[in-house]
Amino acid sequence: MIPQYKALLAFLIITAAATATFLWVTRNTANKERLNPEAVSKLRSRFAITCALLLIAALALTLPHLPYPRGSEIPDKVVFVAAKQFAFGLSEAPIASDAQWEAASQGPAVRIPANRLVEFRVTSLDVNHGFGVYSPGGTLLAQTQAMPGYVNRLRLRLQNPGRYPVLCLELCGMEHHSMRGIFEVFATGKE
Amino acid sequence: MSSPTSASSAATPRLRRNTMLWALLAMALFLVSTLLGLFLRLFQGNSFPAVEPVWFYSALTLHALIMVGAWFLGSMAGVHYLLSRYVRPSSAISELAMGGSVVGVVLISISTLLGKFGVGWYFLFPLPLYPNGAWSPWATIVFFAGLAILAVFWLAWVLDLLRAIARRYSLSMALGWHILRGAKEPEVPPLVLITTVSLVVVTAALVAAALVLALFVLHGSGRANVDALLMKNLTFLFGHIIVNITLYLGVAILYELLPAFAGRPWKTSWLVAFAWNAVLLLVLFAYLHHLYMDFAQPRWVQVVGQTASYFLSLPAAAVSVFGSLALIYRSGFRWTMASRLLVCGVLGWVIGGIAAVVDATVAVNSVFHNTLWVPAHFHTYYLMGVVLMVLAFFDHLSRELTGSDTDVPAAGWILSLLLLGGYGFLAMFYYGGATSVPRRFATYPEETLQGVIQARVAAAFVVLLLAALVIYLSRMAARCLRAFALCRNAS
Amino acid sequence: MTFPRIAACLAAGAAALWGQSPAGSLNQPPNEDLYLYHSVPDILVRPAGKPAMPLSELWRERPLLITMVFTRCAGVCYPFLRSLRTATESAGKPPSGYGILVLSFDSRDTASDMKAAAAGIGARADEGWIFATAAEESVRRLAEATGFWFRWDGERRQFDHPAVLLAVKHGRLVRLFTGGRIPAESLGAILRDLAGGFVPSYPLADKTSFRCFQYNAATGSYSLDWGAVLLVLPGAAAFLAALLTFRPWRRKCARAPFQAA
Ligand SMILES: [Cu+2]
Repeated sequence: MIPQYKALLAFLIITAAATATFLWVTRNTANKERLNPEAVSKLRSRFAITCALLLIAALALTLPHLPYPRGSEIPDKVVFVAAKQFAFGLSEAPIASDAQWEAASQGPAVRIPANRLVEFRVTSLDVNHGFGVYSPGGTLLAQTQAMPGYVNRLRLRLQNPGRYPVLCLELCGMEHHSMRGIFEVFATGKE
Repeated sequence: MSSPTSASSAATPRLRRNTMLWALLAMALFLVSTLLGLFLRLFQGNSFPAVEPVWFYSALTLHALIMVGAWFLGSMAGVHYLLSRYVRPSSAISELAMGGSVVGVVLISISTLLGKFGVGWYFLFPLPLYPNGAWSPWATIVFFAGLAILAVFWLAWVLDLLRAIARRYSLSMALGWHILRGAKEPEVPPLVLITTVSLVVVTAALVAAALVLALFVLHGSGRANVDALLMKNLTFLFGHIIVNITLYLGVAILYELLPAFAGRPWKTSWLVAFAWNAVLLLVLFAYLHHLYMDFAQPRWVQVVGQTASYFLSLPAAAVSVFGSLALIYRSGFRWTMASRLLVCGVLGWVIGGIAAVVDATVAVNSVFHNTLWVPAHFHTYYLMGVVLMVLAFFDHLSRELTGSDTDVPAAGWILSLLLLGGYGFLAMFYYGGATSVPRRFATYPEETLQGVIQARVAAAFVVLLLAALVIYLSRMAARCLRAFALCRNAS
Repeated sequence: MTFPRIAACLAAGAAALWGQSPAGSLNQPPNEDLYLYHSVPDILVRPAGKPAMPLSELWRERPLLITMVFTRCAGVCYPFLRSLRTATESAGKPPSGYGILVLSFDSRDTASDMKAAAAGIGARADEGWIFATAAEESVRRLAEATGFWFRWDGERRQFDHPAVLLAVKHGRLVRLFTGGRIPAESLGAILRDLAGGFVPSYPLADKTSFRCFQYNAATGSYSLDWGAVLLVLPGAAAFLAALLTFRPWRRKCARAPFQAA
């Protein structure tokens, strides 16, 4: 299951539980009764502690999966990405000028071997953009911001060959929705 | 039974009149902004193929700013009114804030609707300086002038409420520190505690906004080359907090109103005091979850961001939500439109909060950031949360001031329609987020064409929502106008 | 990391500061970005006074720094070697985690020439310095794979060539340093990269005012910068505003009692 669906599922389950609790309480409001304050405060403490423990567990489960790369592996390929209103230039050579950006964004798609670690070095030549890598089927796989003045390094290992579109995930002007880039993952044969 | 506004003897006619005016203003802005929202979803559903996308982005900018502004002001008005049971805030400052807000909103409307200034409500540096032919420099200047006016007048109102609290309570009392030390006396109403926390934090947000504006000027005039990462931090420090605090002001209203319907008191217990003091500490760091995809932030900052965001949900939500439910359970709860809206508002807050915690997970954010999941979660706790809470307050007050105590016969149906429209519209956002549809796209590329269908379905639900709102708000507006007239005659 | 390079390019906006073709434009040092993470050919080298061995033997255990020189150099070679020697003093000596190979690209150089060169800069084998020669064809292969070049200038009776330092890990080029001299900070940054330290982002041209974090390439750590002060300012201002409104230092005996209007 893709991570999006896992997150959606977790959300739906917790939401269903919360909504059920609400429905149960709101259906039990009529019979006026004096609640034992001690019982309420005990239950409240228990509820707060349970929530805290759940949060700590969720932290422990998710913090090891930060999307920021570690240096222990050496990438097999570097792709330089320069974003600019309104296209992504992807190239195997660094993009340092508008002319190079134009050539990179209009030239043929960069080719990347499947199952190899690729490092995208992402920057912007003007405003903030979002470098969002989509699968050929249209699922968002990973992203990093393209920020002027910084080079963000996103490392990916893509399994399936195909043409991967890049969409802009930070509002960058009137053609934001049509800003894109593309690269191609090809099968390496041996694996 | 004590009525929530039983201390309305403390409220001067001028305060009542002002509050009714704020209610009318907030509702009017709300409707306008909802219409803009409908336009946005229709646009994404390809209903206006002949209209240039630049209109989408300027409408998007205006929609969000008006929505944020309307309900920040609405909740401030509610808190101002309810605070008058305990302290005396200045009506003059509130009127000044109203004048400033109107001028600010007009300027921002001019800049977006006439100037086509479409940079999003968070005007992320340095986009406003890169129009690329879409808008002219005057639109940028008018926009920032409008923002500056809002920041100044809102800050004045915020500081005045703080001043009013300070006249009666010491800082440690207002923050409930004596209760944390185990004392029971003197009593501090949760309203005062939560409001104090919220106002201190919102001051930080407004100062951050002012800093952003100043740095924009410095950069725009070529006097400095401002760091984009710093600007982004400041932008979200301001943006996140102002939205977050609007929610907390709504919760402050909840703490004050709900007991009247339940017939039980809701006091500042040790846990409540602890929870809101924890909020004061954590809320300044929660904004960091907006910068997870900025790999330039050091790793430890991101970890702090996730931890702060997670634990922020605990004190405010777990304590307040549990408190609400315990308050109404077997209380002989009086169900009126206002009290229903309050309870629905708490549920919306919870659901939006769960979605927010999911998205505040760095590992998840990697595939949810700037997809429709983000508007999904904040529309939930805004539209189905704080908006309902503040509307509940307006509903209740306008009833009390006009003496019309009975609900209209169709109230249940209207509420159902409102919830159906609202949650149906939200479901499309959640579904969009889970299917990788980006947010803030005027039209969708072929990879995410599912967004088009989702937008059309969402638009249909928005129409239902709007129908419910028009029926409900028009009656309420009539009541507010009547109450306004009555107060005028009284003074 | 390559930020000095991209930085220079972007800051100046100069399109052709470095050549884009792998062959390298005339008289330009190789562009690190073009060779990053490429495989380094496993050529046979002959360390002075030892049997020949493949490079892979040298980089199998630990990362390897390679620099290419010729002993009759009257130009950049010796100053560069000396700066490297000095840099190792402060950035960490070779046996602790890496080795240094000084390889001659001049076919006239002999084992004793290399020994003399080592003695000349005070580099010792027990400190991980290896001075070696290799077959002409091997040297060409290594040069081609890493962008290094050398041309005989008959008039000056010298080789024309850039000074480079290749950082190799498991046979892959992780960093490529060029420049007349290597500062200790640059060597520190290279060693950190070799050790597997990694930052997901690095800043470009340093013309920016008020950064939040200052990135230190040598230690690989971030430190707070002036921008961070601006970032705390809103919170501090709010705290100050609260203090000024509530004035807790004024110990009033009674707060103004509340009277309903
Ligand atoms: Cu973009």
